[in-house]
Parts: sequence; structure tokens; C-alpha cells
Amino acid sequence: MDELELLKQDWKKQNEGLPKLSYDEIYRMILKKSSSMVKWIFIISLLEFSFWILLEIIFRVNGFAGEEAIEKHGIDNNVIIPYTIFYYSVIVFFIVRFYLNYKKIQTTDSAKILMKNIINTRKTVKYYVWFNICFFAMSVFSLVIYLASFTTFYQEQSDLETIPVKVFVISAIVSGLFFVGIVALFYRLIYGILTRRLKRNYGELEKLEV
Amino acid sequence: MNKELEHSFVTNLEQNQNIVHKVCRIYTSDQDSHNDLFQEITIQLWKAYPKFRGDAKFSTWMYRVALNTAITLYRKSKRSIKTADLDTINFRIKAEEYDDEVEQQLKLMYTAVKQLNDIEKALVFLYLEDKSYREIADTMGISEVNARVKMNRVKTKLKKILNP
Repeated sequence: MDELELLKQDWKKQNEGLPKLSYDEIYRMILKKSSSMVKWIFIISLLEFSFWILLEIIFRVNGFAGEEAIEKHGIDNNVIIPYTIFYYSVIVFFIVRFYLNYKKIQTTDSAKILMKNIINTRKTVKYYVWFNICFFAMSVFSLVIYLASFTTFYQEQSDLETIPVKVFVISAIVSGLFFVGIVALFYRLIYGILTRRLKRNYGELEKLEV
Repeated sequence: MNKELEHSFVTNLEQNQNIVHKVCRIYTSDQDSHNDLFQEITIQLWKAYPKFRGDAKFSTWMYRVALNTAITLYRKSKRSIKTADLDTINFRIKAEEYDDEVEQQLKLMYTAVKQLNDIEKALVFLYLEDKSYREIADTMGISEVNARVKMNRVKTKLKKILNP
């Protein structure tokens, strides 16, 4: 006989040996909190959204290193306002997308659709973070390059007197890339652990359909 | 919270809890993980329950949510101990009525099933539960043809594990 058929027969007999939970035990369970992966993804995503928004607010409230230079060297509201509008529209776009994708996650869907929706939700946050990193890095680079090329800002800084402008620009770019690298590594580690199983299982289902 | 909904949910689940226990048996290897997964499946079933319209049987609806939780949502606890001995102890309950050879073969089968990956386990589980290929395909989100193909591959894989 086919081994699996043998197993099937035995499988049906195991009902009697299964644990039996009482009404009260089950009732207590529905009062507890879930610790599912989706919940973790949701919490981490909210942290990520808040992190970048907070960072932006802190910069705005406290000012940053180049603020004085910006005012002094002719980068006025004509640049700052469109820049701010652009930034916040993109942020709102990401938050709305995240919310819509998150709403789509339903355990009553098929396994494949459920996995796909989780992966899509995750991707939205990933793109959000990359957008922030790139936007942040590009703003800093363009400011540094602008100040170095079109103004005498760095020459005016007495403590930078001995350092050639080129060296300063290059070191700013290198440290920027280093920062991006660290964030990327950190990211890979966290999500590598959290979504490894999900991706493997999704891959397994995808492979079937080829 | 709606007391009536709670009552009908808990009563339904109490009557059909075997399905959840069996999913836990396939996906976990020790009692603690079994309880953890049971707890999580119960929460997910409860969360989805307001959308259960009764056009399908409660048990049919449960398979999907339970398997989705086991495959996708549940984060394996670090406590799970992976020992073949423990697996078979957990799995096998009644042994008296088989002769030694069949008993041995079943033991090996259960151990072999434990070595399959998450998706393969889901297919085997639904197969053991006598589900049609149509239902298996719907639950997993693949085509019926692919469900058959995959099931045959799983059978071959099990044979290989049993007769290396």
C-alpha cells in the first residue's frame, strides 16, 4: 500500500488522543494579544515612519549646520518651499500606500495572496526608508557642493583654512556613503531575520507556478 | 465587545478544535510551541471571525486561517527542540493496534513529514484531511494542476526520505 494512504488511515484515528480545551480556556485565549509577524512588521513600520518624520522636525526646530550658510548665500524660500512641499507630499503618499496595503492583509485569503500582500506592505516601508536616505543624502551633498563651488563659505571658516575644499567635499561624500551603508546593513539584518521564512515560503509557491 | 459573537465563536472553535491541534502537531515539535501556535491561531481566527458569513462551513473556513497562521504569521519560538524522537512521541498516540512492521513504517512516515518544508507540510496536511485538489489549490493560492504536481513531488520526496 501507498505509504501516504497508510498515514492517512492512522491520521484519522488520532482525534481521540488530541488535547481538549474547555470553553473557558478558549475564551481566555481570545482576550490575549497576538504576537504575529504582521503585528511586528506593523510596529516596526510605524517606528520607521516616525523616525524620519521626527528627524525632519528636529532639524527644522533646532536648525542644522548649514542653515546659516543657506540664508547667507541666497538659497531662499523659492527653493525651500517647493522642496518642503515635495518632501511632505511624498511622505503622505507613502503613509497612504502603507495603510492601504496593510488593510489588504487578510488571513482568510489564500496563502499565496496573504504572503504577497505582506511582502507588498513591507516593500512600501522599504521604499519609504530608501527615499528618505536618498533625499537626505542628496540634500546634504547638493548643499555641500553648492557651498563649495558657488560661494566662499568654506574659505570663511577659519578652522577649515588648511583643508582644501575638494578634500572636504570628498570626505563628506565618503562619510555619507558610509552612513548609507550602515543603515542598509542594519536593515538587511533586521528584515533578513523577520522575513526570511516568509520569503522562502513565497518563493516555494512562486516556483510552482512557473 | 459583542458577547453573542464571542459566544458563537468560542462554541464553534471548541467543537472544531481538533483541526487546530492537528495543524499544531504538523508544525511544532514540543508542547510549548504547540500551545503558542494554538494561541496565535485562535487569535487570528477570532480577528477574522466578524467576516465569517457562514456561507462556508466553519471548519472549512478554519483550515485556511489556521494554515496561514502556521505558515506565514507565526514566529517560531526559540524554545522548539528539534529531535526526531520527540517528534514521534508527540505525533504517535495510539500504537497497540498495529503490528510492529506497520508501526515502524508509520513512525518513519511521521518523522519524514516533519522534515518537509512549510508548504509541503501544508499540502500533506490537507491531503491527510481528505481535502480535494480543488480545495488544496484554493487554500494555497495555486492552480489545481500545480497542486497535483506538487503533491506527487512530495510523495516522491517522502519515499526518498524513507528509502535513502
